[in-house]
Amino acid sequence: MSEFLRILEDEVQIVALAFMATVYTIRLIWMFRFKAGKEITSPVGSPRVGAAYSMMNVAMPWAMESARKNLSFYVQFVIFHLGVLVAITATLILPYWPEFFEAEPIVRIFQLFMGAAFAVGLIRLIRRITSPVMRLISTPDDYFSVALLTAWFAAGVFAMPNQYEVSEWPLILFFGMTTLFLIYVPFSKISHYLYYPFTRYFLGKTMGHRGVFPRKKGGEKPAGLE
Amino acid sequence: MSDKTINISDVVNLPLDLKEQKKALEQKSSAVVEGKVKVYDPNKDNVKNLLEMLKNKLSRQTVSSLVGCVHCGMCSDSCHYALARPHDPTMTPAYKADQIRQIFKRYIDWTGRIFPWWVHAKTPKNDEDLNRLKNIVFGTCSGCRRCTLNCPMGVDTAVLVRLTRGLLTELGIVPEGVFVVDKDSWETGNQMGVSQEDYIETLEWQEEEVQAELDDPSFKISIDKEDCDFMYTVNPREIKYDPRSIGYACKIFHMAGESWTMPSFGWDQTNFGLFSGDDKLGGYIAKNLYEAAKRLRAKRIVISECGHGYRSSRWEGYNWAKYKQDIPSESVLITLIRYINQGRIKVDPSRNPLPITYHDSCNLARSGDLTEEPRWILERICTDFREMYPNRSDNFCCTGGGGALSMVEYKPLRMEVAKIKADQLKATGAKLVCTSCHNCVDGLSDLIKHYKLDMQVVQILDLVAEALVIPEKDKEK
Repeated sequence: MSEFLRILEDEVQIVALAFMATVYTIRLIWMFRFKAGKEITSPVGSPRVGAAYSMMNVAMPWAMESARKNLSFYVQFVIFHLGVLVAITATLILPYWPEFFEAEPIVRIFQLFMGAAFAVGLIRLIRRITSPVMRLISTPDDYFSVALLTAWFAAGVFAMPNQYEVSEWPLILFFGMTTLFLIYVPFSKISHYLYYPFTRYFLGKTMGHRGVFPRKKGGEKPAGLE
Repeated sequence: MSDKTINISDVVNLPLDLKEQKKALEQKSSAVVEGKVKVYDPNKDNVKNLLEMLKNKLSRQTVSSLVGCVHCGMCSDSCHYALARPHDPTMTPAYKADQIRQIFKRYIDWTGRIFPWWVHAKTPKNDEDLNRLKNIVFGTCSGCRRCTLNCPMGVDTAVLVRLTRGLLTELGIVPEGVFVVDKDSWETGNQMGVSQEDYIETLEWQEEEVQAELDDPSFKISIDKEDCDFMYTVNPREIKYDPRSIGYACKIFHMAGESWTMPSFGWDQTNFGLFSGDDKLGGYIAKNLYEAAKRLRAKRIVISECGHGYRSSRWEGYNWAKYKQDIPSESVLITLIRYINQGRIKVDPSRNPLPITYHDSCNLARSGDLTEEPRWILERICTDFREMYPNRSDNFCCTGGGGALSMVEYKPLRMEVAKIKADQLKATGAKLVCTSCHNCVDGLSDLIKHYKLDMQVVQILDLVAEALVIPEKDKEK
């Protein structure tokens, strides 16, 4: 392995990660500077249960009509985000435990996840370009973020065999994009995962307090029967 | 009924109508003179003022909704405006929320301040842009929160729309109807400008009606009686257009042997502050109610049938008024359940034989906690109850929510998007649609007329009053 690739996989990634963590920390401090809205009414339900329900919504496609009615979109969402998880895992394993990728089945599993996420990324990009609704609400950041991730998955598929002795270019491309990704993420919509726990927590806490979350399906005991 | 689709640019370019504002200035309206209601001033830097107010009004919750949207577009499938107008992408909730989000990004958020074009961040250029913003947030969203509950990220678009409405209200850039109702609320303590004389007279009239019906001169609607079990609060619409609903409620309380009263002031459980986004007005109206209950040493506040009234009085009002809740408040639905369950009133479901469906008010089902309560009652007071689909917190808005009924300029669009609700109603085959909200009564009545549906709107209290078994009277029959 060339010294260039070694530094790119190790030191450069650490610096990029540190940069991302720093920006994220500043971002959270910024957000917490805004005053918190307070609920001072007596509760009907539990804010904690509501918050937990809200946070778990992502794993409950039956709980939201938007997921129930668009199950294929939900499946795409799962594949895409699993792809992100697998690709991030790969960037952490490759530099420090390269033997892990000597087993071909493991390489194939990682490639499968990232390949599927790449396909979903393409579908998402096409949807964003062709749907009038998506075109209207999309910003250059939205297009770039999806395109960047989609390309990153493709790079990941080629980098996975970790055969730098054959050619270093797939790895240079993958880690180069990872660096760009880490630096760009805090300024882009990709950072939504940083906000996700907060938006869902705030909504869930209020809705839990008011007894709206967990959402009722029918058959629950009405108030007044005490 | 016409299938014509509204040209959306006709809606978003509706001019700012200032007739009522000028009239209020000429008449030296106290709310205007005291600065409680703002009038539009073209000589002020309204854009700058909006930006300053935005900065001050942001909370952690609203900021998380402003930064959290990923533009996935899932919200378009949940909005009745977007579903009824699939050809019109501007109906997408994310687009509507983006109108304030792009201002936030340009003025407050960091990426938008440095690279505005990259995230479509921009500030309004002039008052014309603010007027367009007004037409979008007041005219194309009823704040029903259906998109909120269907957002994978938990972005509360309805709260962002309300935030924007509040900013524009502070600048006097509002629909005429909103200005008038805000002004009336400040000046009379109720949103329909009902005078105290009219209120008292209406209660006396209803008292006589019930006395005659029950043949019981001892029946009283007591006003300002202290130390009662509860204080009953109503919607001004009941005083003005539907006083019999007060009579029904009071008759039921009487039959249940209840100790209750109504306040002479602080009786309006509705709150236009919810719709205009004016927290100060919201706090003022809600505080009137809470202080009336305190003054009368009532043990509870009971809120008559109204979605936004319940949401405002039970939930938001305490927060707006920063008033620590000292006594319980409940919907009259819960009071009715208690009566029926404890056998304090007897009901005969065979008196309501027509097929009935139930419309969940957005404010009761998505912003409140009442979905099973009306159904529990309906199952006991009618013989043919049919669910509407989707229902409960997935139900569609009556299309009259968010103060839409007071903004006549947007009615053609409202009627067009009401097709979603009309189809939902039609599919039930019911002859009566029951709701527990006065606002929904008017919203549904409008669309039933527009779409020529063979259906009537009723409320739970109407049906309970019909099913109520009055021993002496029934013996006579």
